[in-house]
Amino acid sequence: MKTILNGIFKENPVLVLLLGLCSTLAVTTNFENAYLMGICVIIVLTFSNITVSLIKKIVPKNVEVPVYILIISTFVTILELLLEHYIKPLYDVLGIYLPLIVVNCIVLGRALSVASKSNIRTSFKDAIGIGLGYTFVLMIIALFREVIGNNTLTIMSSTSKLTGYKLVYKVFDANTLFPMNILITPAGAFLTLGFLIALFNFIKGGKKNESR
Amino acid sequence: MKFNMLKGPFIKSKNNTNKIMTNLLIALIPIILFSFYKNGILLYQNNKTDLFGMFYPLIFIFTGIITSFLVETIYAYLFLHLKNDKLKDYIKTSFSIFPGLFVSLVLPINTPIEILILGCLVATIIGKMIYGGFGHNIFNPALIGCLFVLSTYSTIISSNGGFLNKYELDTIGGATPLTNAKIVERLDYDSLVKPYGDLSDFFFGNIPGTLGETCSFLIILAFIYLLLKHVIKWKIPIIYVSTVFIMTLIIGKINGLGLWYPLFSILSGGLLFGAVFMATDPVTSPTTSLGQVIYAFLLGILTVTFRYLTNAPEGVLTSILTMNMFVPLLDRIGSSNKFAYKKALIPLIAIFILLALLSINIGNSFNTSEKEDSNFKILEKTNSYYIVTEKGNGGPIKAKIYIDKDTITKIEILENNETESYYKLIEEANYINKLINNQKNIENVDTVSGATISSTALKKMVINVLDDMEG
Repeated sequence: MKTILNGIFKENPVLVLLLGLCSTLAVTTNFENAYLMGICVIIVLTFSNITVSLIKKIVPKNVEVPVYILIISTFVTILELLLEHYIKPLYDVLGIYLPLIVVNCIVLGRALSVASKSNIRTSFKDAIGIGLGYTFVLMIIALFREVIGNNTLTIMSSTSKLTGYKLVYKVFDANTLFPMNILITPAGAFLTLGFLIALFNFIKGGKKNESR
Repeated sequence: MKFNMLKGPFIKSKNNTNKIMTNLLIALIPIILFSFYKNGILLYQNNKTDLFGMFYPLIFIFTGIITSFLVETIYAYLFLHLKNDKLKDYIKTSFSIFPGLFVSLVLPINTPIEILILGCLVATIIGKMIYGGFGHNIFNPALIGCLFVLSTYSTIISSNGGFLNKYELDTIGGATPLTNAKIVERLDYDSLVKPYGDLSDFFFGNIPGTLGETCSFLIILAFIYLLLKHVIKWKIPIIYVSTVFIMTLIIGKINGLGLWYPLFSILSGGLLFGAVFMATDPVTSPTTSLGQVIYAFLLGILTVTFRYLTNAPEGVLTSILTMNMFVPLLDRIGSSNKFAYKKALIPLIAIFILLALLSINIGNSFNTSEKEDSNFKILEKTNSYYIVTEKGNGGPIKAKIYIDKDTITKIEILENNETESYYKLIEEANYINKLINNQKNIENVDTVSGATISSTALKKMVINVLDDMEG
């Protein structure tokens, strides 16, 4: 449990380690995309961490990175093919960001720093923790950007063919100030992420930055 | 060992920051009063608005000032933990009114007041306080606020009337000179300057625009005042404006326009206001003289680029924000050693080449799109036939085109100076009959390969005759 919480708070991949920012900024225009992306990352991260932890003793140190990239891309490709065949709408939604999980620094980073040094149990817990931390941050950013920037909250739209439900809410009445379309643009993504990191550090207690 | 960090700007002069800012405020007062006259009193005199509307420009500017002052004070109280005397000292030295003042001067009068307040909030917090307050900011705070407002709420502002006040909406209706320049098809005096009066109207600020930017005369006066008081250096505004002047002069000359065109370019839009008040902001502009020279040149080039090569009509705001990023780099070039000019020779030459090439290119891009069939001439015109000429490959082609009720029935070539082998190709392809048969769908008739110029000339002839019959 401690390892999982560590992944969510103390070593949150986006807010503390600042890893995987590309996908964080890109898919968070929409709440649905955010949590779907999070789920995909959790799946890939779990499998890759377990595999890396299993073979950690037979991989020579000097070819570590290529081997791990190979493992990760295998799992991403498996996921991609499965999604394309069984859950086509989801595959269409995630589009280019699905193959890009391969180069998401979070997955490789955890493989190098945790999975290659610890047993399967710890690696698994770590993967779940980090994955959840990533998903939560994505959901918070997407919630903020979509509600304020577009005045909608998409919980289930592109996957509605699958589930049979379509849940898209209009949150408030539009007026002169809202919706604030800048939040949907990339600039808005950077602003939101920046303020979220600032808020996170503020809550954590910013006593350490007296050194300036 | 402990280093004491001081805040910039480190300007070597008798002026302290306080005096500089007071002088800046004095220079701005005539501009504020003029905007009050133009957007308030003038409207009231013409019965376009009530008493509240008359004082609205002043209320608008005052709201900006108060907002940014309050926001900064509250921020300092909450996050910097300043109380009582310390808070008072902080307020005295942070000049918190300026972001709000400039935001309200650069935004159009039709901005709803809550959007103005939001803009001032963004300017103060995101543009200034997050970097550490006055002296630490990288970007010009006011421009950050304006960029935020214009990129987010431009539809709301333009649906409210855009940059024009109520009086101008009735008298001019339409757009600001620069937006108009984007729309018009031909660059000439009648379509660019005439709708707004003449160039003296541009000089004395009788044109639509934001609150602060219209009156070039007062801005130049303010520039001279600030120069005499040693508040700003002459390099940035002068070089910036003259770069734009020279580039638009070249663009104008290529298109056969007179001296009025570059004058129109520098007098319209926020160029002068930006050059005098925004680009010279002591915190966000280079302090070394060589740095200032390069900074100003690049500002001019960027502004022309943004104005001509993008969809946005105005490029001053964006180019100043872009160049703010490079200020530390420019200062390093400028302060490296005393032979800095020698070292900077290559960058400077590169800048001049860029300047020349860019303006020639932009000028030519207008040129090609403008010329259309000046070679076509109708020599004789009756109810049954036209006699026309069109320039071909070797010289004019003269043809008699028989018509019957808006359709071409027969084309007879009277004279041609085309090379014989080329002309043979056209005859072999039966091109003239093709043109006659497909005259309803003339744009899709392919030219004869091998005799492209001659066949295009024939095709143009037919198109022009068809146009003439319809018209």
